Amino acid sequence: MKDTHLPCFRIKPDFYDALAHHLAADFEFWASLVGADGLCRLQLVASPPENTSSGLPGIPFKKLLLPPAEPLWSWDGKTFQSPDPQPRRAVFGVALCDLQALWYLDQVFAEDPLYQERRQHLLIVGGPCQPADQCRCHPDESPLAGDLFQTHDHIWSLSNRGHAVLKELAKWLGATVDRPLPKPLQVPKPRADIREPLFRASTGSAIWQQSSQSCLACGVCSAVCPTCYCYDMIDHTDLDGKSTRQRVWDNCFFSTHAKVAGGHDFRPDRAARLRFRFEHKKFGFGPLRGRPSCVGCGRCLKACPVDIDLDQIAEQLNAGEA
Amino acid sequence: MLDQLQPHSAVLQAVAPLTADDRLFLFLSAEPISATPGQFVEISIPGVGGFPVSPCDLVKGKQIYSCIRKAGRVTSALFELEVGASIGLRGPFGNGFDLSQCVNRDVLLLAGGLGIAPLRALLAALLKTEQHRQLILLFGAKTFSALLFRDELVKLAKAHKLKLLLSVDDDEGLSHVTTDHPCRVGLVTSLLDELTLQCKMTTAVVSGPPALYRGALEQLATLGLPPERIFATLERRMRCGIGECCHCVTGGVYLCQEGPVFSLEKIRTLEGALE
Ligand SMILES: Cc1cc2nc3c(=O)[nH]c(=O)nc-3n(C[C@H](O)[C@H](O)[C@H](O)COP(=O)(O)OP(=O)(O)OC[C@H]3O[C@@H](n4cnc5c(N)ncnc54)[C@H](O)[C@@H]3O)c2cc1C
Ligand code: SF4
Ligand code: SF4
Ligand code: FES
Repeated sequence: MKDTHLPCFRIKPDFYDALAHHLAADFEFWASLVGADGLCRLQLVASPPENTSSGLPGIPFKKLLLPPAEPLWSWDGKTFQSPDPQPRRAVFGVALCDLQALWYLDQVFAEDPLYQERRQHLLIVGGPCQPADQCRCHPDESPLAGDLFQTHDHIWSLSNRGHAVLKELAKWLGATVDRPLPKPLQVPKPRADIREPLFRASTGSAIWQQSSQSCLACGVCSAVCPTCYCYDMIDHTDLDGKSTRQRVWDNCFFSTHAKVAGGHDFRPDRAARLRFRFEHKKFGFGPLRGRPSCVGCGRCLKACPVDIDLDQIAEQLNAGEA
Repeated sequence: MLDQLQPHSAVLQAVAPLTADDRLFLFLSAEPISATPGQFVEISIPGVGGFPVSPCDLVKGKQIYSCIRKAGRVTSALFELEVGASIGLRGPFGNGFDLSQCVNRDVLLLAGGLGIAPLRALLAALLKTEQHRQLILLFGAKTFSALLFRDELVKLAKAHKLKLLLSVDDDEGLSHVTTDHPCRVGLVTSLLDELTLQCKMTTAVVSGPPALYRGALEQLATLGLPPERIFATLERRMRCGIGECCHCVTGGVYLCQEGPVFSLEKIRTLEGALE
């Protein structure tokens, strides 16, 4: 979606009350809140928050679309059954980088029935953000997804669904204005990119060994990444005999990720695994090859216990240091 | 096509032992299924798990034959099932072999061990359409008893449908079996010495463990076969089969979708494809 000339409206004083009231019958409300421990979490809230920019949640809202564990199907001994329908949720205050990440996931899971069902049930309301030290986004580069985008005095519609909501609330809307989305202006240091041939040529480079030496293979970097979506499938059986297959988050830093029966491992060490993650973040996989999947949210930088930094690796390769 | 993530039910209809660890399974799907040679399906045992497997014969209506090795958790559970048990079936996935590459060409099939399974399906398709010129199968296994489907292959050779060259790594037991067909001791690729190929008119398809690919593919190119007509089916840990879970990604490509069958020309561009 192009964000220039998105329909934008001035809003009247009671608009947000009206929006909350309008959505309350059908939707759960979710928003990022900073807890007593200082961590920001995306959580269920009673009503949409007044303050639209509370920062990035540690775990991005991919957790609502691709939960850490979700049933794919169950089996009662005779037939395979689809999982229960998903609740409708409205998520507020989603930052621009996460809207870009949403666009990316929408492409990857375009034909995934369960993702699509959850997605149809999600109303996503973006909000302005405050660049933090780790932020490395490219605000104008990637397309973004979502339904609405709100500030304290304006609202934009980003999708047909968003448009339909605004239509219902026309009474609380002021004039249409030609106004771009408010974007972060001073990102400390945008994501470092690298050309693919240079990456390819670095297969045997010592940089992968060096950079991954301190890696604990904890996988936190992928868990917090809004565009990491690897999954595994795990079966379990209840006491009543019903079996369920779950889709669970997997992680390319885990030792089983590329291992096959007989013990052969196609990515046998941390160096190969770091290179694999780097490749996904800088170039994407499959039909999305050529477009970085990293939206520069900075979560992995913040979360890595040993400060491994993909951008630093890219810069070293670019500088011919490796 | 079966649903992307939810299997259809199927029944284990028959099992026949092939070796101590390999069995031929016949599954009867509740829904008609179409899988071309080289494509694969996922077999699920609800409550245990699933695994990818390629049919080892033409898929007719609702019947799927697969030759399966007891290799770990889920395959072991399959070996414990009784005939009549319900299972789940999902697929087909992947591209399969491009049969048009075999029309009016000599076809050289090269199989190592269990790699014969998908090639047996391809062989069946070729013999059905008969549009190829000469058909050659080089087949090697660790031991004589591990030469799966040897009897039926020898029969085809005797009927002049197929030129068959066999090899074993280990000659143990070889002298004790009354063999009706020669079998060399050595690597399967050493059988290439016995052939005079019209390289420009030949399409090769290789199927076997990673170690076989590392040598055989470039060796065929060195002999003069065009890299765009040397094919291999690549194995990976495949979980979803639909280009989502990322386990199979190699050189940025979802092998489960674009593959598992690739030409050597393409494989050369896929970093780590032959590791
Ligand atoms: C395209 C394709 C075709 C195949 N065709 C055949 C065939 O015709 N006959 C046959 O016997 N085997 C075939 N295999 C290999 C078969 O899938 C594995 O032997 C099987 O997955 C082992 O599962 P397991 O649970 O018993 O082993 P475990 O080692 O216990 O497996 C644990 C997990 O790893 C995954 N896994 C392990 N090994 C493999 C592997 N080699 N490939 C993919 N996933 C793996 C399994 O899905 C499982 O969830 C094929 C694999 C692929 C990718
Ligand atoms: S790679 Fe790091 S910075 Fe980029 S999107 Fe993922 S978590 Fe954010
Ligand atoms: S968070 Fe850091 S230590 Fe953990 S797997 Fe990622 S790079 Fe390695
Ligand atoms: S098997 Fe999941 S992406 Fe290929």
